[in-house]
Amino acid sequence: MFALLKLIQSLVGALHSEGTPGQLAAGLVLGSFLGLTPLMNLHNAVILALLMLLNVSFAGGMLGWALFVPFGFLLDPLFDWMGHGLLLAPALRPLWTSLYNMPIVPLTNFNNTIVLGSFVFALVVAIPLFFALRWAVARYRETVGARVRQSKFYQALTASKLYNVYRMFRP
Amino acid sequence: MTAPATPRVKIFRWKAVGPLLVFFGIVGVLWILFADTIARHATQKVGTQVIGAKVEITDLHLDLSHGKVMIRGLTVASPHEAFRNLLQADELVADLDVVPLTEKKLIINRLAANGLRFGTPRETDGRVAAKSAGGDGVPSRVMAETREWASQFQVPVLQLATGKISIDSLDPRKLSTIPAAEALGARADSSQRAWKAAFDTLRVGPTLDSANATLEKLKHARATDLATLNEARQAIERLKRAQGRVTSLERGVKTGVASLQSGLAGLDSAKRRDYAFARSLVKLPTLDAPHVGAALFGPGAIRPFERVLYYTQLARRYMPPGLLPRASTGPARMRRAGEDVRFPKEHALPGFLLRSAELSFLLHPTAEQPQRYAGHLTGFSSDPALYGRPMLAGATGPQLAAGAMVNHVHDIPVDTAGATLGGITFAAFQVPGVPLRLDPSARCSRGSASARATCAGYVIPDLRAAPSAT
Repeated sequence: MFALLKLIQSLVGALHSEGTPGQLAAGLVLGSFLGLTPLMNLHNAVILALLMLLNVSFAGGMLGWALFVPFGFLLDPLFDWMGHGLLLAPALRPLWTSLYNMPIVPLTNFNNTIVLGSFVFALVVAIPLFFALRWAVARYRETVGARVRQSKFYQALTASKLYNVYRMFRP
Repeated sequence: MTAPATPRVKIFRWKAVGPLLVFFGIVGVLWILFADTIARHATQKVGTQVIGAKVEITDLHLDLSHGKVMIRGLTVASPHEAFRNLLQADELVADLDVVPLTEKKLIINRLAANGLRFGTPRETDGRVAAKSAGGDGVPSRVMAETREWASQFQVPVLQLATGKISIDSLDPRKLSTIPAAEALGARADSSQRAWKAAFDTLRVGPTLDSANATLEKLKHARATDLATLNEARQAIERLKRAQGRVTSLERGVKTGVASLQSGLAGLDSAKRRDYAFARSLVKLPTLDAPHVGAALFGPGAIRPFERVLYYTQLARRYMPPGLLPRASTGPARMRRAGEDVRFPKEHALPGFLLRSAELSFLLHPTAEQPQRYAGHLTGFSSDPALYGRPMLAGATGPQLAAGAMVNHVHDIPVDTAGATLGGITFAAFQVPGVPLRLDPSARCSRGSASARATCAGYVIPDLRAAPSAT
């Protein structure tokens, strides 16, 4: 229940933040990497650092993570198939071999079919997802955003302590 | 009119550098605090997956600044016996190469193992692969293969029929002796009738009487009595024809007798077949020497070699020859594990390498006179083709002299192992159905077995074992 409330708070807070639709969409896209790929991997530390360092919506990132985790589980067979195809492609073998024998890179577990497949999938959908989300956020703010902002539900939500924590990382 | 200038959005959020550094600092502190615990759990988990039996560690300390790992209280359960450990070690000290760790490669320059004990009892069942033989995971599959291989030596000592014997099985019509005897009897009767008829048609008596009468007439006839002479010539012709008929009958009788004798022999073999059939119904064992030897000594002598074969096959899976990419099951996690693909590269370090290990250990530590052994291991690598040298292992002690070479450097692996084991106790067994228990160890207190196995290629070896009892 608390997680659901937090998710709704994040969603509403992010949609009505002072950040631009582009910042929110970028945060969501970075969050999608956390949700689509297996979490405990080195590349996700880099994604987390980017979420904090880049001027994108951190709340959008957390929201993207929460939203895309179920898709990650659901699409694992596809990721496995993609990763298998990429890792065992004869044309790419020299690339993987040199990466596998480099310092640090093997610690990303890129040689795992799920990790590579999901990362490549997230990378491929990142650009279309960014533009689609930016358009959707802009449309939301133009249409129903103002009415939601004046609703009692929104007032109650933004008055909670969690919202204050969120404001620390708002763009 | 110009449009109002939109404020430029900054790319970096510099104020987040502090919290980010604090975050990574916390991660670093947690690593320092829990690295030993994490490494211990990871080692236990990986060890259990690799060996197919529980691996437990009391304490593990990482000292990466000095390239050392110390393990205290290592217990590896036996993959084959439920309440027995494969080994226990008081202390293992490993000297690591730290730099290859950044490439996710574990290079152990030297491993010293102290206080090794083998075959100690344990309170819980530590088997993992044996309980899921044939399932997922390399040890489970290897366990199923070695069990199948060893089953060819498992000859039952004595197995009598149990339960009801089906009436159908005892149907006299299924026996071959009776029809064969009936057919032979019919043939004998038929031959007898044919011979009697042939004898009756000989008519030798009238011919002889006629010849005697002609002879008497010749005695008193004159030399010019042509009619008598002619009669004598005809009598001689009749005698010749009678002789031919007798000879022909004799030949026919001899052939018939031979045929009946052959039928009698066939009857004997049919009788033996029926005996074998009847014996098979009550499952009486054969008492051939090879079967008796295998039944008595097989289970006791083959068990150590089944285990050696298990570890050899594991080595083949974990130390494959060649430099081609190879996939293995990925790490267990909530999400799908996927597959890890390794990409060995020429002139690079292998993923795992144990350059040298010195072992000193006790067998039967609880006995009055524990047996002290010394062992060594060199060149244990996950990519033998990269290391370029075969793995060598050896152990010597009071009841064991063993050596092994695992050569997976080239495309075709060659594994050679030789061992002489002493102190094998042959199993006692109860003879089913009778109050009799045979105990070979009562007459021959201990046995020994020597074996040398060479396995080239990818087939399970044809082991040449020579059990002997003293």
